Amino acid sequence: MSYMDSSQSGDESEDNQCEIKRFRHEPKSYNLNRRYERQRPRRSRLASRDAGSYNLKVVESNLQGLIFDNGAHTIKINYSFEEKPKIIPNCIMKAKSERKRLFIGSQIDECRDCSGLFYLIPSERGYITKWDVQKPIWDFVFSKSVCPVNNYPLIMTQPLFNFKSIQDCIDEIFFEEYEVSSMLRINPTDLAVMKYHQEIGAKPPCVIVDSGYSFTHVIPYLEGKKYLKGVRRINVGGKLLTNHLKDIISYRQYHVMEETFVINQVKEDTCYVSQDFKSDLKAAELPSSKNHIIRNYVLPDFNNIRRGYIQDADKKDEIAENCQILRLNNERFTVPEILFHPSDIGIKSIGISEAVVKSIFSCPQYYQKDLAKNIVCIGGSTKFVGFRDRLYNEIRSMIPASWEVNVYQPDDPISYTWMGGKVILKSPDIKAKLPPSKKNLMIGLKWKSMKIHNLNAKLSKLVISNMLKNTTYLGRDLCLKNPTKRLIIKQKILKWQIQENVKKKLMFQAKMMQKRCQV
Amino acid sequence: MMKAFKSQLRGSNRIKECDKRRVIDETQRRRRHRKIMELLESDNYQDDPHADLVMSKKIPKFEDNLEHRSTRTKKKERTAEYYQTKFRKNFQQLVDEDRVEADMTGRVSYIDIAAEESKLPPRHFCAVCGFFGHYSCVSCGMRYCSIKCMETHMDTRCLKWTA
Repeated sequence: MSYMDSSQSGDESEDNQCEIKRFRHEPKSYNLNRRYERQRPRRSRLASRDAGSYNLKVVESNLQGLIFDNGAHTIKINYSFEEKPKIIPNCIMKAKSERKRLFIGSQIDECRDCSGLFYLIPSERGYITKWDVQKPIWDFVFSKSVCPVNNYPLIMTQPLFNFKSIQDCIDEIFFEEYEVSSMLRINPTDLAVMKYHQEIGAKPPCVIVDSGYSFTHVIPYLEGKKYLKGVRRINVGGKLLTNHLKDIISYRQYHVMEETFVINQVKEDTCYVSQDFKSDLKAAELPSSKNHIIRNYVLPDFNNIRRGYIQDADKKDEIAENCQILRLNNERFTVPEILFHPSDIGIKSIGISEAVVKSIFSCPQYYQKDLAKNIVCIGGSTKFVGFRDRLYNEIRSMIPASWEVNVYQPDDPISYTWMGGKVILKSPDIKAKLPPSKKNLMIGLKWKSMKIHNLNAKLSKLVISNMLKNTTYLGRDLCLKNPTKRLIIKQKILKWQIQENVKKKLMFQAKMMQKRCQV
Repeated sequence: MMKAFKSQLRGSNRIKECDKRRVIDETQRRRRHRKIMELLESDNYQDDPHADLVMSKKIPKFEDNLEHRSTRTKKKERTAEYYQTKFRKNFQQLVDEDRVEADMTGRVSYIDIAAEESKLPPRHFCAVCGFFGHYSCVSCGMRYCSIKCMETHMDTRCLKWTA
């Protein structure tokens, strides 16, 4: 109930003002969900009342900001008024060919010879641990040439259960070093949910499958909030897949253990998720004349060929004859298969589709049907050809036949969370999540020192709504059931109000002094 | 009695051969597997190519701020090392700390959300060619599919990775 109360205004604005796009989901399909039906008329009644009395509240925020998706492999960053994010590798690279130079982020484009790159990666299993690497990358990203902060509010992503000392360090760097006016740290999946809700124009519960560089998360969202008991993490991501491919190619063909950069491209270009693993494996056993799986991949030599490519089966081009050719057979689908069966390489863990099903069934029964209907996959490792179909087929086979199953994959799963950042900036309660922008610096720092961000969000919302109504009643629209928390907030507000009063008095006195002087 | 006596006399040559070979026990196999997993999580295989490089003093170093980004005084500006020393904790420390805190407050922590073991039986693949491997190596437990692959395996990887 609390969710419904606190976000009424949010729902309204979207219903009224956003262009409602529906795709994949027919409006009829929500008939099953009694809750939505019941809520609809009630909400519209509230809307008319709300619009009359608190016009300010309903207006969609036109706040602009800098959206910063700090992935372990690539940073997705740009201002919210831009169309697409800039994608910058989140690492520092050292090349064999150019000594005395480090390539930070996208500077790697200037490197002529990308063979044997040595990587400095700031995060370990998705969590930032090497600050001496991360800081220069951020320095580069926020420099004048890329995306300076320019006093915009910052929306930054952090992994689920980000550790406390990492959070503190991020705060310190951003508030003190980059002097951001206000910052919101949020899980990337939260943003993806917002984007998804905006796209379909409704707010059903959904499951987010986020398969990135370091790990794969399956997170169910009920009523717009994470349901932690249903979260599953599989320690398989793009990094592991690339390293595995490197390992088997090195054993079977060329020694490529040092060529992470090239093999990652090989993985992106040739690997796919098999729809029928056993029959594909049988087909791969056939001799090359009958084999439709085998591919010849021309490796780059960084002289004539900058990026490798799949050689056409019919014509063998002339340049390729002098080049090294990698023959990929069952590697093409056994590598991404690890996502679905981590036990193939001895990781004792369930695969993605099992994890999704388990996650759905660990949620309250009431939501399960809707969760199966709204599965969203994001992240770079979901870009394998056939990933969505395989996931759908496997989930379909494990879910009761009468339930509808829907797996949605956005066109660009990598920057989907960044797009979600745009949505959150438009949401009417964003100003409550970010410290108010006028006295931004001071308050931003002060709030940072309070170090209870969630509480602050609620607090500021309350303060704003109080200012609007000019009343001082507390607690009700906060939906805080915990009395001690409510007390803390009460005290904070009192403090804040006292400070404000003192300020006002001082201002008044100063004005009076001025007037007297003029007279 | 008679049968046992006979088998001792004649016996299979293959089994006799196997007895001579060094067999890695369960704990060692597990250690080996952990090493392979660590390799799969590693950032680099090779050593730092610039490790032996001595930077000349004139070249601006990586940590140096070339442009003045902010209005801060120079005194306050901090290098990357500052953050590294202040927040120096490796991943395991972070997880352990988180665990302790989570236990105290009773919230869900990083470790709790790790996916459980699958109920489906694991599939086995030939370590050499990647197709289904039905046989396992006596010494190290790796899988292979044919005599040809077995020989390759014996020649190359069988007793590698052992600690």
